[in-house]
Formats: sequence, C-alpha cells, structure tokens
Amino acid sequence: MSIFRNHKTSADRSATDRGRHKEKIRKALREGIHHIVSDESIIGKDGKKKIRIPVRGIKEYRFVYNPDGNKKVGSAPGKKIRKGQKIGQNKNKSKKQESGKPGNEKGEEFYDVEITLEELSHYLFDDLKLPELEKKRFLDIVGDKYKRKGYRKKGIRPRLSKKETLKRKIKRKKSHMLHRSGSADERFPFHESDLRYKHIDIHPKENSNAVIFFIMDTSGSMNHQKKYMARSFFFLLYHFLRHKYENTEIVFISHATDAKEVNEDDFFKRASAGGTLMSSGLEKCLETVKKRFHPSSWNIYTFHCSDGDNWPEDNERAISFSGKIKDICQLYCYIQITPPSGPSNYWSSGGMAKVYQNISDSKFKIVHLETPDDIWIEFKRIFGGKLS
Amino acid sequence: MSDWTFKELEEWDDKICNLARSYDLDWYPINYEVCDYYEMIGHMSYHGLPSHYGHWSFGKSFERTHQMYNLGAEGLPYELIINSNPSIAYLMRENPLYLQILIMAHCVGHSDFFKNNRIFKDTRADSAVSRFRNASKRIREYSENTNIGLKRVENFLDSVHAIKFQTERNGMKRLSKKSIKDKRVRIINDDKTGKNRNTNLDKYLLEPDYDLLSFLIEYGNHFKDWQLDILNIIRDESHYFIPQIKTKILNEGWASFWHYKLMNELDLPQEYHIPFLKSHNQVVQPHTARINPYNVGFYLFQKIEREHGLDECFFIREVHDDVSAIRFYLDIEDFRELNLFSYSTKKDSVTIDEISDEAGWTKVRESFLKNVGMNSMPRIYVSDTSTPGRIVLKHDHDGRDLDLEYADNVVDHIRSLWSGDVNLFTIVEEESWEI
Repeated sequence: MSIFRNHKTSADRSATDRGRHKEKIRKALREGIHHIVSDESIIGKDGKKKIRIPVRGIKEYRFVYNPDGNKKVGSAPGKKIRKGQKIGQNKNKSKKQESGKPGNEKGEEFYDVEITLEELSHYLFDDLKLPELEKKRFLDIVGDKYKRKGYRKKGIRPRLSKKETLKRKIKRKKSHMLHRSGSADERFPFHESDLRYKHIDIHPKENSNAVIFFIMDTSGSMNHQKKYMARSFFFLLYHFLRHKYENTEIVFISHATDAKEVNEDDFFKRASAGGTLMSSGLEKCLETVKKRFHPSSWNIYTFHCSDGDNWPEDNERAISFSGKIKDICQLYCYIQITPPSGPSNYWSSGGMAKVYQNISDSKFKIVHLETPDDIWIEFKRIFGGKLS
Repeated sequence: MSDWTFKELEEWDDKICNLARSYDLDWYPINYEVCDYYEMIGHMSYHGLPSHYGHWSFGKSFERTHQMYNLGAEGLPYELIINSNPSIAYLMRENPLYLQILIMAHCVGHSDFFKNNRIFKDTRADSAVSRFRNASKRIREYSENTNIGLKRVENFLDSVHAIKFQTERNGMKRLSKKSIKDKRVRIINDDKTGKNRNTNLDKYLLEPDYDLLSFLIEYGNHFKDWQLDILNIIRDESHYFIPQIKTKILNEGWASFWHYKLMNELDLPQEYHIPFLKSHNQVVQPHTARINPYNVGFYLFQKIEREHGLDECFFIREVHDDVSAIRFYLDIEDFRELNLFSYSTKKDSVTIDEISDEAGWTKVRESFLKNVGMNSMPRIYVSDTSTPGRIVLKHDHDGRDLDLEYADNVVDHIRSLWSGDVNLFTIVEEESWEI
C-alpha cells in the first residue's frame, strides 16, 4: 500500500536558483542598457515611478534544429485540412518587421522587469563619476542627513507612528480572538507593546559644492529628433547627478538668440523657435557664475547641447566666452547633435564643433552625437565608465 | 480547503492497488507527498527529484512554469512522479478528492512503466534519490569551497548543460580507448588476408565517438577532480532521464490508459463520475497543431487492447519506446483518425506540407518520428582528433539544419570545456559549414 504524508518543506526550494536567475536578468539588463536609454518612453519619467521593460530571457544553449527547416507534426482535432493550406503567420518574421529591432528571432523569451528609474540609475551610473571634482575651499557644509529607517519599540512621542501602532493592535486582537474566542465587540485597548516609533537614522553629510550648467540650444533648427537626443542626454545627466551627487546645484539655461535661466520643467519641455546665437547661452552662464558661484569655491561643470548651427557672425564671441568658461570649469562639454540624415548646409561642414576645434582640450570636450545609441556611449566616455 | 482526509486517500489507494494488482500491474511502492501549489512547481523545476543540485536554469524553469500556469495556458492537473524505488509522487493539497484518485491511478501506471520497460533497466531506480542527493551535496561543496567557488561551478555547469544530452542515447556500451585498441589488435591478428595490417593504432582517436560527455571525461586530462565529478554527475543524470524522453508518449499513454480503466471499475460515487470524465478528456484531448503525448499514447493502448488484447499492451510497455511503437503499431487508419499532418514555415507563413491521406501519411510519419524522443535533438559526434589538442566534431545531418546561433554558442561552451581548438562541421542549406 502506498504511503501518504504531508510534505515537509524546509524552505522555498528554488529561491536561491530564482535569485541567481534574476541576477542574470539584471545583468543582461545592465549590458543592454543603452537600448533602454535611447528608448523615448523613459524620458521625462519621474524617479519613483516604475517602468516596465522587457528583458531578453537568458538563453540556455543546446544543439537544436533550425525551426524554419524542421517539419513539425501536429493533430487537427475535428478539422478538415488540406495540403498546402496556410495555418498561420511566421511569427518571427512579422514581429521583426514590426519593431525593426534585431534580436527578436525565434524562440526568444522576454521577461518583463519592473524597475524604477532610481534603480535604473543605480545600474547605469554606479561606476561613473564627475571628473576632477577638486575639493575647493572648505565651504562644504558638513551637516546631518536624516533618513527614515524602519520602526522601533522605543522612541519619543512626536515620532509615534499611528499606523504601525494600530497594525500591532489589530494583529494582537486577531490572534487573541483566535485563541480565546473573544467576541469582536469587546473593548480592546492599546497596549504598551503595540506602540511603534518611527526610527530616524542620522548620516553625516558632505556637500560637494558643485554646480552644473545645462545649456540647451532651442533654436528652430533643433528639430524633433535633435531635441529628443539633447533631452535624452540631459535627462541621463540629470539623473546621474541626482543619483550620485545629491547636493549639486543645477542651472538650466535655454537659448535661441537670447538666453534664459529656466526651471527644470521648462527646460525639458520647452518648444523651440528662432535663430541661434550661441554666445547668448554662454554669456548667461558666465553671468550666473559671477553672481552666484564663485569659481574659487565652486566646482563648475558646463554642458552645452546644440546642433552646431550658429550665426557665423557670432562665432568670435562664442569662442571667446567658451575660452572663459573653460578656464573656470572643471569640465566643459560641447555636445553637437548631428544626425546623419537631414538637410543642412552649415553643420555638414563641421558646425560649431569645427569652430571650437582649436581651443578643445582635456577640459573642453567636444562630443558628437549622431544616433540615439551614441548617447550612452559618449556619456560613458565623458564620465569615465568602462565601455561595455 | 480540501474536501478529503488522509484516511480517504488511503482507502481509495487500497481500492486502486487491489484492482491494479488483479490486472498484474507491477509497480514500485509509491510515497505520496501532499504539498501546495508553490511546492509543486518548485519540485517540478527539479524534475520532481527531492534533492537536486542548484543552478539558475532551475530558477528560470520555475518562473516559466509559474508564468504558464498563471496565464492559464495549462489548466491541467499537476501530476508528478519520479522513477525511483519507492516512487515519489506529489499530490496537490488543493485538488478535490476525485482528482486525487485519478492522479493516484495514473501514478500506478507510471510506476509500473518505470519498473518494467526495458529501456529503464539501467536507470537504477533503487538508488536514484540518494544518488541525486549525494551529487547535489558534492556540487554544493564545490560552490562553497573557497578554492573553487560558485562562479566557477556555475560557469562549468552552464557549459556542461549545453551538451548534457550529447551522450550515448541508445543504451549501447561505450568502448574505452583501450578496449577499442584491443579489439583492433585482435582483428589484425585474426586477419589472414593482411588487409587490416596497415591500421594505424597510434591515432589519438581510433573510432568516432558518439558520446561527447564520455569522450571529454576520458580524454580531457586537464580536468580537475571536481570538474570530472560534475561531468559524471550530468552524464549520469542524462542517462537517468533519456529513457523518459524516449518513452514520453508510451509512458503517458500507459498511465492514462490505466487511470481510465481503473477509474471506470472503481465504483466511483455518482457525483465524481462526471468531473472525472471531464478531467480525463481534458488530459487526453488532441492539441491543435501539436502532439499531445497523452492523446497519442492513450489512443495507441486503447486501440491495441481493442484489436489485440491486453497482453499485447503489456508487451508494448515492456519492450517498446515511442519511435518503435509508432512505427510498429500506427497505420494509415490511425494517422487519419488522429488527423495528423506535417507543416513547416516558409517565408512568411506556416503551411501544411502533408496530411494523412494515402499519398502523404508515410511522410507525415517520417516527420513525426523525427520529432519524437531523442530524435528531436541533433546528434553531434567526435570524428577526429588528428591534430593533438584539437577536436573535430561532426553533426549527423539528417536533412535538418542546425540553428547556427545556438550551435555557435554551444561550440564556444565545448571550447571552454576542452580548453583547446574545437571545430564543428555540419551542413547548411546543402553546403558544408564549419564552426
């Protein structure tokens, strides 16, 4: 006769292997991150919101037959069939055409991974840093950083967590009723042991007194595609800074023929029009430095995105301002967005990047972005991450 | 909440066992473990073995199974029994009593098949559980050993998994280098014509080796002990599972044949009868454009019982595997009845190539057999090692091309195992191809 017993399980047996699998998926995610970065849908998302991204499953390679040439057999319950009858679409092919992305080939499994931008930033930026962050004058405010961290049984009154305390009470009540079959109407007072206090952790905090200038060209020639690339770049930069350097100041400047300091929202969303005077943005930058961020106590970084299309008469001024900016900055980057397609008579000859060529050095970098895929590659180059 | 007690399970088990015994079924004692859904798919990810070494691929398998059941892709009862003595089977706590009875009857069929089919005779059911437990312990020790570590073990397993079924698949005994040499010497000595005199006995590889895993174990003298151990563990595991791969249709057919027969004779309470039939039909129903092994197997045994009697069924369960049984017992009528057809992908559509009519059914059968059991996996053999340190692999091409992306990656895995040159020769679109 057979034996029956309740299965004695020690733990969730596949937990470790699932963990390893997840790690592998995350790793794959990390390696394929530049595809995600250049995906328009993440731009403008807020950090806490979860985004869902499909990540290619980890393949287990075996010798297998090419499904295209391998005749399969199946049954056709209750159906009339005939030779040569079409019974379906070639899924691999049609999918490929739809998305235009490589890698959607046969048998690919996708796992949806839910991830917050914060976590994404973690993968993206962990091995990157702002170059040359000198400790300039000890203006650094060393203060305390408070962070909520769980709940404790002891604490001061103001930090009493009503919600957690009530939860304990309900828990206690339920188990009380279970074991002693008390009635639900009975008065059930709070008990000392129900009380829970918010716990706060104090970290010493060091300010890195750095200021970053985001300067974006919003002239009429910055078409949708270019603007999108500029934004992607700034978006990455923004999250990178927010992730790594909590207390950096960011100054947003957008310019066409004249420059304005704008807030973050306007910077990322503002429409564009007009001609270009690059010097206007640079002048604004210098002006702001003079007013608020003295170079002797601030680490200054400047990033300027443009399509390189400037009024030729303005070039002299731009060069002279750029020289000044270079002198006061730890790093000054000029990012020229020149998609390979698209008509132009000016920047095809090199644009502003060419004008700047002579004053470019290790502190003044000129970066070319041609396709969205370049964004991440160049980004990593600037901030010294390993290129994977 | 379950609608049954252990006592009820035992009572029904008694009835099932008595009835099964009266039919001369002969199975291993069965230990039923009653578990919940998560435990069930947890065990499924490890093929039901109570103890098995860890590897991320089993975590992946868990996620996939879970996803699949969640999406309702498989509304089937969960049934899991392993080939061991005693057999271990899992019953899901949430299942209603009639389903437990069905599964128990089904398990008796499986266990009988494990115990009696000749292909299983080398699977050493008596020691299976302890073998896997020991192997799992040793592999865990390697991962925890600071000189080896998880990363190395995992990478090595990745590579060995890539070729885990590239081993002897027909139960033939593999000859070691020495015994091949002895055999050759005997041939030369017995040969009066002198034709064989010129055989070169100093060649590194005297005969093509169809057992890549064993080849690596025998010839790869660079392996550390733990690596050799893992190679042996995986090889042993493959040999344990290959019989199940080769008899999927017969095994499921036999178990379904018996649960159906036993359930019909069990005097089930009236209210169980309809749900039982429903579940049964769900299990053995044909799947559109796929082969449901339960369907074909159940059909086969029912037909044989009808036409040749129960003894013939017992004969099949003893000596046949899926390929031979399909070839031997299914004719055009059956192919028509099962409405089997072959299809393939051409350009942008999937098209029916042949249907089971007078002209086409043998071609359908040929395609069917190519996708049954181990035939669904390409066979790669070691053909030559003329240059020391370099192995030449060949693909036994049977008209079907390899998937090259996969093949490239597997060859890379073999290179890392062999730590030397590895080339694979195959045929792609009728031209030879080298990786």
